[in-house]
Amino acid sequence: MKWIGAGLVMMSSTLIGFQTAWQWKMRLKWLEQLRHMIYSLKGEILYGHTALNEAFGRVGTRFLQAEGERGLQKLPLFFLSVAKRIDQQEGEAFCQIWQEEMKSLSASPLKEEDMASLKNLGDHLGYLDLTMQERNLLLYVEQLDEQIDFLRLHLKDRTKLYASLGIMGGIFLTVAML
Amino acid sequence: MEEMEQVIRIFPQKLREILRTAGTEGFRAEELRLRISQPLMMRAEGRDWWLKMEKGYVWRPVEETWERKQIYCVGEGEIRDTLEYMSRYSLYAFDEELRQGFLTIPGGHRVGVAGQAVLEGSRVKTLRNISFLNIRVAREIPGCGDQLLPWLYQERNFCSTLIISAPGRGKTTLLRDLIRQISDRGLKVGAVDERSEIGACCQGKPQNNLGLRTDLLDGCPKAEGIMMLIRSMSPQVIAVDEIGGKEDLEALRYGKNCGCSLLATVHGNSLEDIRKKPVLGEFVEEKVFSRYLVLGSRGKPGRAEGIFDGEGNLLWGKNQLGEGEGEK
Repeated sequence: MKWIGAGLVMMSSTLIGFQTAWQWKMRLKWLEQLRHMIYSLKGEILYGHTALNEAFGRVGTRFLQAEGERGLQKLPLFFLSVAKRIDQQEGEAFCQIWQEEMKSLSASPLKEEDMASLKNLGDHLGYLDLTMQERNLLLYVEQLDEQIDFLRLHLKDRTKLYASLGIMGGIFLTVAML
Repeated sequence: MEEMEQVIRIFPQKLREILRTAGTEGFRAEELRLRISQPLMMRAEGRDWWLKMEKGYVWRPVEETWERKQIYCVGEGEIRDTLEYMSRYSLYAFDEELRQGFLTIPGGHRVGVAGQAVLEGSRVKTLRNISFLNIRVAREIPGCGDQLLPWLYQERNFCSTLIISAPGRGKTTLLRDLIRQISDRGLKVGAVDERSEIGACCQGKPQNNLGLRTDLLDGCPKAEGIMMLIRSMSPQVIAVDEIGGKEDLEALRYGKNCGCSLLATVHGNSLEDIRKKPVLGEFVEEKVFSRYLVLGSRGKPGRAEGIFDGEGNLLWGKNQLGEGEGEK
C-alpha cells in the first residue's frame, strides 16, 4: 500500500512538472498566433479600410481554417464571436463586447498579464482614425513581442527546470513520507 | 427585416425601446431626424411628427402639439452612440463617406451627418462634433416602374433614359426597379453605386434585387466606375444615380460612344431645368438621352409627370399615365 501511494505521489508530481513546462510552450504558441492574427487584422483595417466586424470575421475565418488541425482554435473563435456580436447590434459598447467575449479565453495558457493587455487593446480599438488604429495595434504587438522574446529565451531552461522539479519534488515527497 | 427595424437598430438601447414602443408600422416613414437637444422628428405622410409622452411615448403631428415639455429630445450621448453603432464601432473606415457628409447603413438607408468640419488646407478632411443626423429610409418597391418601362423601349431596344426628379420623390427606388426589370428582360446592366443606395451592399453582397444580369460596382466614384465597368464587364446598359459632375457626364458620354445605353437620375424639376445646366444642357442638345422621365411631386415612386423623347417632345403626360401600356 505504502509503495502504491509513493508511486502515485511520484507520478502526480512528475505530471505537474511536465504540465507546467507544456503550459509555457503553449503560452508561447498562443501569443505567436495572436501576434500573427493582429498583423492580419492590421492589414484588413489599414489597407482594406475594413470595419471591425468584417475584419474580425475575415481574420477569424482564415485562421480557423489554417490552425484548425493544430488545435489552436480558441483565438480564431474568439475573433469570430466578437464579429458576430458586433453584427447583432444589441446596442452595447465595443469594450463591453470585447470583455464579455474574452471570458471564452479564461481556460487558456494565457496569463493574467496577457489578458490585461488584450483587454486594453479592446478598450481602444475603433477609436478615432486609421492612424490611431495602427498605433493601438502596433503598441499591442510590441507588448506581445516582449512577452514572446522572454518566453523563447527561457523556453529550454524553464521546460527542463519544471520537468526536473516535478520529478525531484516527487522523489523528495516520497522519501519524506516514507 | 422590415425597413424601420433596420433603422432602429442603429440607435442606443433606450431610444430603440422608445421607438419600438411608439411603433412606426402605421406610418410610411421617409426620414428620421436627430438634432442635438432638439426633438426627435419623423417625416411621414407629408408632415413632421414627434414623440410625446402620454402613457408612453406616442407619435403626434408637430403642428397639433404645442406643449414642448413632454416631447422627447435628443441628447448629445445618443448622437455619439448612434454614430458608433451605425459604423459598427469603426468610424475610421468611413472617413471618405464622412467627408462627403453621409453614411449608408445595411438596407441602403442613407444617414446624412452634419457637424463641425475639420479642414486640411481648403479641403474638408472630416467632420467632428457631429450633432445632426438625417436618416432617410430606403424602400425597395418591386414593380414601381411597371407602367413606365414600356415607354423606355423602342423597337425592342432600350433607350438611354434620364430620370429627372427633385429630392425625395423616389428616383433611386424607381432606378433600382428599372435596373431589375431591364436586367431580367435580357440586357447586361452595369451599375455604379457610389453611395451604396442602389444595391445596399453589405460585405459585397447586394441586399436589394437588381436582376439576373446586373453587375454592381459598390462605393466607387461614378466617373471612374463607369470606365472600369466598360473595360471589364461589357455592359449593355450603364446605370448610375444622381449624376452632376463634369467628370461623371464625360464618362457617360464615353459609355454612350462605346455603344452602351444609359440609365441615370438627376436632380431637377423639369426638362427645362436640365437644359439650363452647364454640361447636361449640351447632352440634351446632342441627344445623348432618348427618353426623359420627369417624376411628379411626393407620392408613390414611379408616378411620372411626363415622358419626353430625345427631342424634348412629350410622349406621355401625367393625365394619360396608367391608361395605356405597350411597347413604343
